[in-house]
Amino acid sequence: MSKSEVREGLAFLMPLILVLVIFILLGVLFTVMDSFFRDVTYLPKKFIGLENYAALFGDRAFRQSIEFTFLFVLVSVPLEVFIGLVIALVLNESFPLRGAVRASILIPWAIPNAVTGRIFELIYNYSYGGANYLLRTLHISSDPVHWLGDPAGAFFSLVLADAWKTTPFAAIILLAGLSAIPSDLYAQARVDRAGFMQRLVKVTLPLLKPVLVVTFLFRTIQALQIFDIIYVLTKGGPGGSTMSLSMYGYLSFSAGDFGYGSAISVILFLMAFGFSLGYLRLGAFGKEIS
Amino acid sequence: MTEERLQKLLLTLGAFFTFLFCLSPFIYMLFTGVSLRPDFLRPDIPFVPTLSHLDAVLTSESMHFLSFLRNSLIVSALSAILTVFIASSAAYAVTRLSFPGKKFLMIAILAISMFPEVSIVNYLFKLMSAMGWINTYPALVFPYVAWTLPLSLWILSSYFARIPQDLDKAGLVDGCSRLRVLLKIIFPVAAPGIFSTGLLAFILAFNEFLFALMLTTDYSARTIPVGIAFFQGMHGRIPWGEIMAAATITTIPVVILTVIFQRRIIQGLTRGAVKE
Repeated sequence: MSKSEVREGLAFLMPLILVLVIFILLGVLFTVMDSFFRDVTYLPKKFIGLENYAALFGDRAFRQSIEFTFLFVLVSVPLEVFIGLVIALVLNESFPLRGAVRASILIPWAIPNAVTGRIFELIYNYSYGGANYLLRTLHISSDPVHWLGDPAGAFFSLVLADAWKTTPFAAIILLAGLSAIPSDLYAQARVDRAGFMQRLVKVTLPLLKPVLVVTFLFRTIQALQIFDIIYVLTKGGPGGSTMSLSMYGYLSFSAGDFGYGSAISVILFLMAFGFSLGYLRLGAFGKEIS
Repeated sequence: MTEERLQKLLLTLGAFFTFLFCLSPFIYMLFTGVSLRPDFLRPDIPFVPTLSHLDAVLTSESMHFLSFLRNSLIVSALSAILTVFIASSAAYAVTRLSFPGKKFLMIAILAISMFPEVSIVNYLFKLMSAMGWINTYPALVFPYVAWTLPLSLWILSSYFARIPQDLDKAGLVDGCSRLRVLLKIIFPVAAPGIFSTGLLAFILAFNEFLFALMLTTDYSARTIPVGIAFFQGMHGRIPWGEIMAAATITTIPVVILTVIFQRRIIQGLTRGAVKE
């Protein structure tokens, strides 16, 4: 490691470091600082210590948004990882039209969240949307459902729309994990006449566990931050029942209360960061960086 | 039923489910975009195909769809190009030069990619206001570059690491500068990796919502996702035909690119998320 090499390395890294520092790291620092201030449009900025955080404790809407965000992560992430696992198991086998099915899973991934939100808004339309059409045609219910009209329905609708959009990503990561399992392990299981379920439980799942954990953490970090689909579908309603932390922070900012919004953002940041540390640890990154 | 047949049945069902799950909302969008009425699923309403919504979206001055589309294409393309150059330069340093703290740097950069967008959007709003950039392309391009850099760096590093070092050593011996080596030797060899990284960065920028929502105010810089989220009709009637026609025009190019380059995209996403 010569001195000139270090200097050259720094020169090649400089543009990246500058962009990340100016547009992201300073931003986080600024937000942390701002959360200790009364920073409201048209009022002079004033240091108020932990008052924003104290106010959060007494804020019913904030408690509701914490509850919603956690419940959303708890329900949607396992669901997405489960469906993703099923899709990955299917795609890991060879069958006719496998290429077409694999291409189809990238379509939800490629569509902007906002467009996904609009498509599902139409699907959940009370009088002619696809969801109520399915209920009627499959004879599940002849009465249409007000999907976005009550808290439980809105929650379920968001979970489903988000699952559609993000399951492909989980499936792709899990598929990479599956294809890394050496096939001779299955050959041995076949010799032992192990059935499909036995192979899944005894060979596949134990070997896939590290990738499963990483997928769980990765999806958790993203689901904690859910914003786009909520903005389009429910705006946090009805009655604040689907207000995510990102949404609440955004609403505070757009209402001109920057200090309070910053405090909400800091809480979300800390939660996501905690999971990120776990992710970075368990993902065993950096093993191959010398 | 024998084990083998059961397995085949499960596989067929699974493939069918996957196909249906992923495609039905997309197909619903396509059909609504070319249907005279959005309520064609009702039993008493026939499906009458029409191109009037597509035509309206492409010609209506008041919807500004073409402005949104142009803004999205310019912002995403600029972001992708800048990201690829900056990330390549950094990936070169990471894979070819030795310096202290490399591992820490790589992991810190990965951690940055998981920060919630909302935790910096307030800062970006104030920064861009101070620069006078609100509602201009730079207000979006710089944050998008920053946001797509971590993933791009990880993907490109894994591509660059596979290029034999002898290639660039030969260049250095011939008296080329390191920058020349990167541009003239590594770029051509890593072209497929650079292309797929650029494509991923483009799609991520094309789909971004929150920054575009906060940092633009009208059609002169607003991008497609925000434009489509804001399409509202008059008198409480949502113009579903137009919205889905706009969604169709927006998503078809991305979907075609994705399907053509599916292997590369899958490779890129995988390399960015888990180490094989």
